[in-house]
Amino acid sequence: MLSIFLEHDLPSLGVDFELPIGTLSAIVGPSGSGKTSVLRAVAGLLNTERSRVSFDKDIWADTGARYFRPAYQRPLGFVSQTFGLFPHLTAVENVEAALTHLRRRERSREAQNCLDIVGIGGLADRRPNELSGGQSQRVAMARALARKPRLLLLDEPFSALDHSTRKRLRVELKRLQDALAMTVLFVTHDLDEAAELSETLVLLRRGKVIQQGPTRELLRRPSTVEAARLMNFANLAKAEWAGSDASGITLRWGDVLLTAAEGPKSRPDDTIHWTIRTSDVFLVKDNHPNESRLGTILPAKVVEVIEMGSSALVSVIVNNSGGEVLRLQLRPGALHRHHLSKGSPVRIALHAQAIVLLN
Amino acid sequence: MKDFRTRTAALFLWISAAFFSTAVMAGVPLIAAAASIRPALEEISTRYKEVSGESVRLVFGSSGTLANQIANGAPYVMFLSANTAYVEWLVGLGLTQGSPVTYAEGVLALYSRSGLLGETENPLMALDDALQNGAVQRLVIANPEYAPYGSAARAALKHVGSWTRARQVLLLGANAGQAVQYALQGDVDVALVPLPLARLAKLHETGQLQVLPKETFPSVELHQQMVLLPGADQKTREFFAYLQSTDSQGIFMRHGLLVPGPANLALQP
Amino acid sequence: MDWNAFQLSLQLAAWTLILLLPIGIVTGRWLAKTQTRARPWLQAFFALPLVLPPTVVGYYLLVFTGTRSPIGEFIMSWFGVSLVFSFPGLVVASILVNLPFAILPVQRAFEAVSNELHDAAACCGMTPWQTFRRIEMPLAWPGVLSAAVLTLGHTLGEFGVVLMVGGNIPGETRTLSIAIFDRVQAFDPLSAGHMAGFLLLISLVTVALGYGVLERRGPQRQKSA
Repeated sequence: MLSIFLEHDLPSLGVDFELPIGTLSAIVGPSGSGKTSVLRAVAGLLNTERSRVSFDKDIWADTGARYFRPAYQRPLGFVSQTFGLFPHLTAVENVEAALTHLRRRERSREAQNCLDIVGIGGLADRRPNELSGGQSQRVAMARALARKPRLLLLDEPFSALDHSTRKRLRVELKRLQDALAMTVLFVTHDLDEAAELSETLVLLRRGKVIQQGPTRELLRRPSTVEAARLMNFANLAKAEWAGSDASGITLRWGDVLLTAAEGPKSRPDDTIHWTIRTSDVFLVKDNHPNESRLGTILPAKVVEVIEMGSSALVSVIVNNSGGEVLRLQLRPGALHRHHLSKGSPVRIALHAQAIVLLN
Repeated sequence: MKDFRTRTAALFLWISAAFFSTAVMAGVPLIAAAASIRPALEEISTRYKEVSGESVRLVFGSSGTLANQIANGAPYVMFLSANTAYVEWLVGLGLTQGSPVTYAEGVLALYSRSGLLGETENPLMALDDALQNGAVQRLVIANPEYAPYGSAARAALKHVGSWTRARQVLLLGANAGQAVQYALQGDVDVALVPLPLARLAKLHETGQLQVLPKETFPSVELHQQMVLLPGADQKTREFFAYLQSTDSQGIFMRHGLLVPGPANLALQP
Repeated sequence: MDWNAFQLSLQLAAWTLILLLPIGIVTGRWLAKTQTRARPWLQAFFALPLVLPPTVVGYYLLVFTGTRSPIGEFIMSWFGVSLVFSFPGLVVASILVNLPFAILPVQRAFEAVSNELHDAAACCGMTPWQTFRRIEMPLAWPGVLSAAVLTLGHTLGEFGVVLMVGGNIPGETRTLSIAIFDRVQAFDPLSAGHMAGFLLLISLVTVALGYGVLERRGPQRQKSA
C-alpha cells in the first residue's frame, strides 16, 4: 500500500489515506484543493508540518521520527504539468539525465530504449523546443520511467495538450501501466479523465479528502453532498425518512413518496439529502408496458429545455414534491419524440437502485 | 557546443597571457616627490643614472597627499616635499629616518593671459585691479589645503587683499601640476603656479609669466625639505646625498628653483 | 608605451576575475534560491559599489586596512603583506568594487532556472550537486559569462580605487589607467594618448571576445515547454 498522511496549517491540508500498489489511482479536485501539494509531498519535493509517507513498508517520510528522504533518493518518476524538460539537452540527453548511475555507453543505450518504448525513438536528437506537446510529454514520460521506478507520479499530465492528443495518450498510459505493472498516481481536475483511467479515486477539496475508494463505486454512489457536488451530480434534493422495510427505505419528498434501495434502517436525526444521476432519470410514455419495473413513477412539469449538441438537459418539477428541480439527460432525438417544451406535462421514473442517499 | 568551447578557451588564453612575470622592480628605491619639482627631479634621476649607473623610481603628487599616503603605510623610502610643514608633520609622527634637509626653495610665478595685466612692476596689484574690474573670469591655483604652492598663492592673494574677490573665480588643481594643466588647456585668465612647471609647460609663450618674490606671501614658506623614510637603504642614502650635490643644485636652478647656500642667483623667468 | 603598466592592468583584471567569479557564482546562486527575509538588504549591500564613488571605496579601504589600522597590522604580522600600496591590495579593492558586476548577472541567470526544472532533476535521481553541475550551471552559463566580461572590462579601466589604495607605484600599482593620468600630469599628452588608445583597443577586443562567445550560445537557449 502507498500510505499517505499529511497535515499542514497554512495552507490548510489534512489527508490520511492509502492506495493499492500496482494500479492507477487518481486524485481529483478543483484548483486550490491541494492535490498538487499532496503529489509533491509524496514525491519528496515538499515538506508538511506533520507527515508520514510510506510505500510498501518503505518509509519515505515520518515527522514523528524526524525522517525525511529527499526526492532524489525515492524510487519514483515524476512528470509535471508542463513536463519540465531540460531545454539545453536533446530528448535522449533528457532521459540520460535520469540514468546517472550507469556508465556512459550503457546510459545512451538505455535512454534510447526508453524513447523507443514510448514511441518516439526517432526524435532522440531533437531539442525540447523542436518537439510538439505530445512528443514532449512522451519524452518526460520516458525520462520518468528510465530508472524503472516503483511509483510514477503525474501532475495533470494531459492538461497542456489538445483534445485528440489527450485521448491518444490516455490510452497509451493505460497500456504502459498494464505492461509495466507500476503503481501510478496522477492528479487531475478532470473527473472524466480520472473516471476513464483510474481504478481508485480520491476526491479532494480544500485540503481534505471528501471520499475515496474504487472508482466505479465512487462514481455510482457519492457518500456526501460535497462528494456529489464534486462529481457533478446535478440533482440534489432533500427528503424525510418515512420508514424502512424489505424493499428498501421510504422517503417523503414533499408530498410524494419515494423508495430508495439502500439507506439507514432507523430514523436519522436530520433531513436526508439524496441524489440521482441525470442519466438515471427516465421519461415514461403513457401506456408503457411493465411500468412498475421502472421504479417510482411521478408526474411532473417541464420548466426548461437546453439542447447541447449530442445531448439535451431537461429540467422538471415533480408535482407536489416541494418545488425542487430535477434534471434529466436525453438524446436530442428523444427530445423531439416526446414533443417536450416548457410547460409540457411529463411522467418520470426514479428507480430505487438509482437513488443515492447522502450524509 | 564545440564551437562555444573553443571560443571560451580563446578567451581564457587571452586572459592568462597576463600571467607572464613582471619585471622585478624590488630593490629600486621608491621616491615620493612633490609634483612641482617633477621636471627637475626627472632630469636629476637621469643624470644620476649616467653618473652612478643606479636607477630610482619616482612617484609624484601633491605634498599633502603624499604625506598622507606615507602616514597610511605607503612604501616610499624618501619624501621630497614642496614645503617644510608636511615633513615636520611626519617627523612628529615618528615616521621618518634621520633629519630633514632643505634641498631647494620654491618660486611662485604669476601667469596671466596676454594683454590682461599689461606692463607692470607689481603684478599682484595689477591683478587686484583686474579682479575689481571683472576682467578675470577664471583664476587657477593648486589646492591650498594640501599643496604648498596653493597655500603660498592664497597667502599672496590675501596679502594684497584680493582673496575674497579671487574666490569667486577660483579654480583649484589637485596639485601644482594639475593647476598648470588647467592653465594650459583653457580659458584661464590667471594662474599662480610653481615657476619650474610653468616654464616646462611653456606658459610664457601663451601669456605673461612673472616671478613673485617671497615677500608677497609672508607666513608661508616654500622651503622644500626632503627626508629619508624607514626602509631607506644604502642606495637611497646615496641618492639623498646626490640631491645635495652641486650637480643637482645646478639642475634645480635651471628649472627655476632657488637653492640654499651661496649659489643664490636672481631669477629670470 | 608603458608595457609594465599594461601588464599590471592585465594581471589585475585576470586575478580579479579568477578570484571573484567563484564568489559571484556561489553568492549569485544563493541569492537566487534563498527565501530569507534579509534578501533585499543583502542585494542592496552587494550593489553598493555601484553607487559609491570608487574613491570612497578606496578611502575606506585605506583607512581600515592601512598599515596603521588594526586590520592592517594583523594582516602584516600574519601574512607579511600590506593591503595598501601593493598589488595584492589592488586585487582586494578590485574584488570589492566589482562585486555587483560579478553577482547580479549570475543571480538573474540562476533565478531564470525554474523550480520545475529543479523538481524534475531531483525526481531524476540527481543529487543537489549533480543538479547544479548538469542543469543549473549550463543554463546559467550565459549569465556567468556576462559577469566575467563585465568584470574584466570594468577592471581594465578602473582608476579611482586603484589610485587611492595603490598610489602610483611603478611596477607595483601603476596600472595603465594610472600611467595615462601620470603622463598627463607630466605634460606628456602624446604618450598619454598612445596609451589611452591602446587601452581602448584592448578593452574592446576583450569585451568583443566575451560577447562573441555569448552570441553563439544564444540561439541554443530555449525556454522550457
